[in-house]
Order: sequence, then structure tokens, then C-alpha cells
Amino acid sequence: MDKAEAIVAALGGADNIVEIEPCATRLRTEVSDAGKVDEAALKRAGAFGVMRSGTVVQVVVGPEADTIASDIEDILD
Amino acid sequence: MTRVLSPVAGRVVGLAGVPDPVFAQAMVGPGTAVDPRRAPGRAIAPVSGRIVKLHPHAYVVVDAEGHGVLVHLGIDTVKLKGAGFELLAAEGDEVAAGDPVVGWNPAEIESGGRSPICAVVALDAGDGALTDVLESGEVGAGDELFTWD
Repeated sequence: MDKAEAIVAALGGADNIVEIEPCATRLRTEVSDAGKVDEAALKRAGAFGVMRSGTVVQVVVGPEADTIASDIEDILD
Repeated sequence: MTRVLSPVAGRVVGLAGVPDPVFAQAMVGPGTAVDPRRAPGRAIAPVSGRIVKLHPHAYVVVDAEGHGVLVHLGIDTVKLKGAGFELLAAEGDEVAAGDPVVGWNPAEIESGGRSPICAVVALDAGDGALTDVLESGEVGAGDELFTWD
């Protein structure tokens, strides 16, 4: 499983992801059910950190965020 | 060893002074931060190398030793979607330390309700890799912020 796939799985799967947007250092995602997000799995997938506020989950992945986000969008399409 | 220069003029506040936990907790790497002078300016390349990432509000320059330095202009500025930022270089360009990369106006960022604090991060640098890290004081653009072994 590559990094993008691992992150999608850790966010509760493609169906749980409402929106994903890259920033310079992180993925800003909105999920339907925050309870399905597995923080430990996000870190195993390579995240440096995870910040959560309700259904908004920021996954800190460093400057590769834009590349990972487009890989994730390919998975979601 | 790489000398990392301040991309902007202003007051050094250290990474702990950045109102964002990703930078304040050094999640993407150690470094420092500068509260920029509130005047239109051009953020410069902090090291000589290649611009491997260029967003309107942030860029990464990797030098010949493979050191990647992230410059992030303001906090939550991704939400401006480029408004108020002028790209003066292109992704993939080779630049010399001091070359202008992005034009911006910190006063405008601040009047829009966002912090213009500029984080300068040594990506993936290990503990102790940085020396002589400035944490306070005034700097001009191009002044040394830290060295990276």
C-alpha cells in the first residue's frame, strides 16, 4: 500500500473523506465521521503529526503534501 | 554546511513564536521564524539551490547538499489562494541565496486577519543539526538565521 492509500485508509476510507486540500506542509481534510479516523495509522503512513478539530483533520506530511493530495484525489475519483 | 538566510526583514521570534502548532512544535523540522516588517517586500531564497516547491505563500529551496529549506509566508495564508502574492520565480528554477522568490505585503496579510509571521524550517533536519539559531533580535533580508551541518 503506498502512502496515499495508507492515508485514505487511516482517514476511514474514501467514503469518509468529504474534502481534501493540500497546504505547504499538510493535508487539510474534512471527514464525515471523525470517529473513523485512526491517528496511529496516519503516523504509521508517514504523518509527522495530526491535528483534529471536529470533522476537520489536518495531517502533517511535509512539503510533499501537494503530491500526496493529488494521489489521494486519484484514489477518490 | 549551509548558511540559511532570512527571507524577510523583521523581528526574529523563533519557531515557538509561530501561532501554528505544526511550526511551533517543529513537526516538519527545526528552524526559526521572523515577524516581518509591515511593508511591501520581496521574500528571497534562504539558500542557493533549486526551488523544488513553489506555492504563492510558501516555497522550498534544496541546496547542493540536499538540505531543503521551507519558507512559509504567514499563517493560514493557503486560504488566500495566491491573492496578495506575486511569484518572482518558477518551480524548478535554480536560484542564488538572496534572489527574490515571492513579492508580498505583510501589512495586507495582517489587515486580512492573518498572522504574517514567516517560518523558516530545515526540513527533516535531525536533532543538533542546526547551530547558531537566532531566536530574537532584528534582521534584514539576507542576514544569517542559522547554519545547518
